[in-house]
Amino acid sequence: MEKDKTNAENPLKVNRRHFFSQLSVGIGSLALGSLLIPDLFKGGGVKELTDMPLGIPHFAPKAKRVIYLFQAGAPSQLETFDHKPTLRKRMGEDLPESVRNGQRLTGMTSGQDKFPLMPPTVKFNQHGNSGAWVSDFFPHIAKIADDICIVRSMHTEAINHDPAITFFQTGSQISGRPSMGSWMSYGLGSENKNLPSFVVLTSRGKGNSQGLYSKLWSSGFLDSKHQGVLLRSGKDPVLYLNDPDGISRSDKRHLLDHVSSLNKLHHVETGDDEIESRIAQYEMAYRMQMSVPDVMDVSKEPESIVKLYGEDCQVPGTYAANALQARRLAENGVRFIQLYHQGWDQHGNLHNEMAGQAKDVDQASAALVLDLKQRGMLEDTLVIWGGEFGRSNYCQGKFDPANYGRDHHPRAFSIWMAGGGIKPGLNYGKTDEFGYNIVENPVHINDFHATLMHTLGLDHEQLTYKYQGRRFRLTDVAGNVIKDLLA
Amino acid sequence: MTLKTKSHWVDYAIFGLSVFLVFCLIFDSFLELPVLVAWLGRWHPVLLHFPIVLLLGAILISLTNKNVPYPLLTLACITALITAISGFFLGADVSAKGDLLLWHQWLGAGVALLSALWFWLDKITLGQEMYTKGLQVLLIVLIGFTGHYGGMVTHGEDFLALPSSKKQEKIPENPLIYRHIVNRILENNCISCHNPNKQKGELLMTNLKEILKGGESGNILIPGNPNESEMIMRLHLSTEDEEHMPPEGKRPLDQTEIQILERWIALGASDTLRLDALEMGEPLVALVKELMEPDPMDKWTVLPKVADSTIMNLSSDYLSIKRIASHSDALKINIFLSPEHDPKSITDLHRIANNIVELDLSAMPIGSKEMEMISSCVNLEWLEIDRTPVTDDDVDKLKELTKLSILKIYETNIGDKSISVFKGLQNLKSLYLWKTGITQGSLDELKKIKPNLLINNGIKEGVNAFFVDTDTIQKDIKTE
Repeated sequence: MEKDKTNAENPLKVNRRHFFSQLSVGIGSLALGSLLIPDLFKGGGVKELTDMPLGIPHFAPKAKRVIYLFQAGAPSQLETFDHKPTLRKRMGEDLPESVRNGQRLTGMTSGQDKFPLMPPTVKFNQHGNSGAWVSDFFPHIAKIADDICIVRSMHTEAINHDPAITFFQTGSQISGRPSMGSWMSYGLGSENKNLPSFVVLTSRGKGNSQGLYSKLWSSGFLDSKHQGVLLRSGKDPVLYLNDPDGISRSDKRHLLDHVSSLNKLHHVETGDDEIESRIAQYEMAYRMQMSVPDVMDVSKEPESIVKLYGEDCQVPGTYAANALQARRLAENGVRFIQLYHQGWDQHGNLHNEMAGQAKDVDQASAALVLDLKQRGMLEDTLVIWGGEFGRSNYCQGKFDPANYGRDHHPRAFSIWMAGGGIKPGLNYGKTDEFGYNIVENPVHINDFHATLMHTLGLDHEQLTYKYQGRRFRLTDVAGNVIKDLLA
Repeated sequence: MTLKTKSHWVDYAIFGLSVFLVFCLIFDSFLELPVLVAWLGRWHPVLLHFPIVLLLGAILISLTNKNVPYPLLTLACITALITAISGFFLGADVSAKGDLLLWHQWLGAGVALLSALWFWLDKITLGQEMYTKGLQVLLIVLIGFTGHYGGMVTHGEDFLALPSSKKQEKIPENPLIYRHIVNRILENNCISCHNPNKQKGELLMTNLKEILKGGESGNILIPGNPNESEMIMRLHLSTEDEEHMPPEGKRPLDQTEIQILERWIALGASDTLRLDALEMGEPLVALVKELMEPDPMDKWTVLPKVADSTIMNLSSDYLSIKRIASHSDALKINIFLSPEHDPKSITDLHRIANNIVELDLSAMPIGSKEMEMISSCVNLEWLEIDRTPVTDDDVDKLKELTKLSILKIYETNIGDKSISVFKGLQNLKSLYLWKTGITQGSLDELKKIKPNLLINNGIKEGVNAFFVDTDTIQKDIKTE
């Protein structure tokens, strides 16, 4: 699967390991090995794909692109999609130890001697033919209940924001691995060479926020052309993309041609493949000078679409504007569009902050799904909505029914997905009556990644990259495709 | 003088080895070999190359009427005997020898003993007689067959079969769970080692009786109890584990395959159970159905081959051509509007028209020439011509595209005349025609004729009104 780039092409790039592995002794021992162990080279399924060029899925995909509406900070499952009336009945009671069962806590609540159960701050209703429970914070998402698949049994290992969000985005709690968008770009290639295949858009709500770092969309050890490109709101979506005054486009062309020839010389000297990536990126930026302003210009959107997403979609930098932008980028062949909306970290003032955050994202998220659907794009676009973990069913700090917050909770939380080969109108997974532990169909983050890759036609065990002597995958050594979720 | 003494030793060695080999063959079933001796057998695959080369070399020299050099013939003969004996040791590891192995054993022994005979004939200077020549020709034939059977033992009986002849039997409509499903999984994953010719771990998996009998370590399948069944337990071990099956280097079973085996065992591991006898909610039904579903890639195997260079030549920064999946000749094409758009880049695609399965021409300024090209894409399943200047006359050109399944043609000027084309498209599943000139009456008519067709004419009025009226987004949102 992966190209062992360090190996071929340039004679200067032979390192000690390659030197030894290429000695004729190595070849001779392989031959001997094949005699003694006849199956050594017979090859199982793993070998078959090794000669496959990248940029092509392993099997026919259902989804061709992903729009990931990431709710950074972790929205409470108990105020969004996981309806737990028991919490209202038993308000103020201490969370039974048998339920918590030794779950480690964050530094913020580990000092508490009581864990009073807190009710949902909002009413729930069932919606659509699927009878999905959705809280009244999300009246618009409730309208698309039959188009989405709600998974209430997500779980993770991380209990703090940074490792948790890093785990979701890169498959590892420790930074440094490629982001999932980079993996998809690496595995599937680009549909439109005039735009990056992985684009990031951020927005911020009024709720308690946690930081977002560019490592979340980094390409890690993959070629840097797979890196996520952050598009800013406002006049210059990409900084320094426009030519300075007095420089014409043909001047720019000459400049690039010359720089490129110098870079090529350097590449011949050193054999460093990143130089080739650099050349390609200059060219991409040149083409993006034309393509980006066009894609980012939402002024051409008709009134009906503006109304659908909400008036705020005309205000650059809002979640609504980014959601509309995401559709336009998807239409133009961007593979992976990652939105982040910050402000979902409700350790206190749960009701008011949730209400504000929900208002930011509810209409635009639902509008995006409806808009994609009427354009036939839900057929091959996967939309995902969710945060990095869930929130505790007990309150943080002293028991106060008038104003409370929830701490982090990794054992169960809810997300939803739509389109791209995912079964619409499905309610998947169940938690116990406290909304604390999963009792049916758990979905680990590795499983989520494996399933997402499956919809894109990628086998999560086959898409690997060899780095520092081992093969890496997005799902590392775990993950199963959850077939029940597939349409 | 010294040479003569030496050759005596050689005579004794060859005689001794021959006798030992015959002894082994006769008392085959009574022998219990010590571990070290069995280990010596492992060298058989290395040793066997010596007698093949040496014997063939010696025969070649002899058949050209030259005297075979004494050391060559001696070495050929001794290695032939040692190889045969080591092969016998290796075979002793296998509890019950299959047909292939028996043939290989007797042929191999034949080669060794005949070469000993030749050595003796040569010694008494009958090396150039006609019957010695006959013996040599016979040896060539025997070496060939011995090698062939040996190869089949290690690499499988179908190793030399042509790849295409390995086609699997189609699963019938209402399959027997054991015969058509379980056995297929075993055949693909287990039987290459657990067959009468190899019998790893003294286990045969070629039929249910043998599976129930178990192997070296006892029962492997307990009907009704998958969790206690060794064959299932081993599938669940981590792939690094020594005991994991299939062993390292072979493809592990996928989740569906494991679950099928588990459910089949849980239901009693019967060989008479049929799919339609299963209850409605039984998970095995869905699992088996999944396995029976034809691979969507199969229908594309008949497409003409298309070379990577052709794809490269027709591609540009604004026109991407991709294979639907690796090793597939089905193509998916996306075209975006370039500032210097040349319609020829689209019409040139007629060269690969038969391979185009998905075509995205959204928002492109296409006209009748481009539509001409589209109409030649007879295998087209997915077409996006939304936001284009197409007209009813253009749509008429789509009527030959019988495989078309998804058509996106929203925001165009087509009208009711196009309905008749849509009616004729047999495989059409989804039709997107929001914001066109088609009237509600015609749509209703189309719905009546094609009740299974998904017609999307925009967001439902009620839902849309809700979004327009209840704009919940805050006006005073903070922007960065």
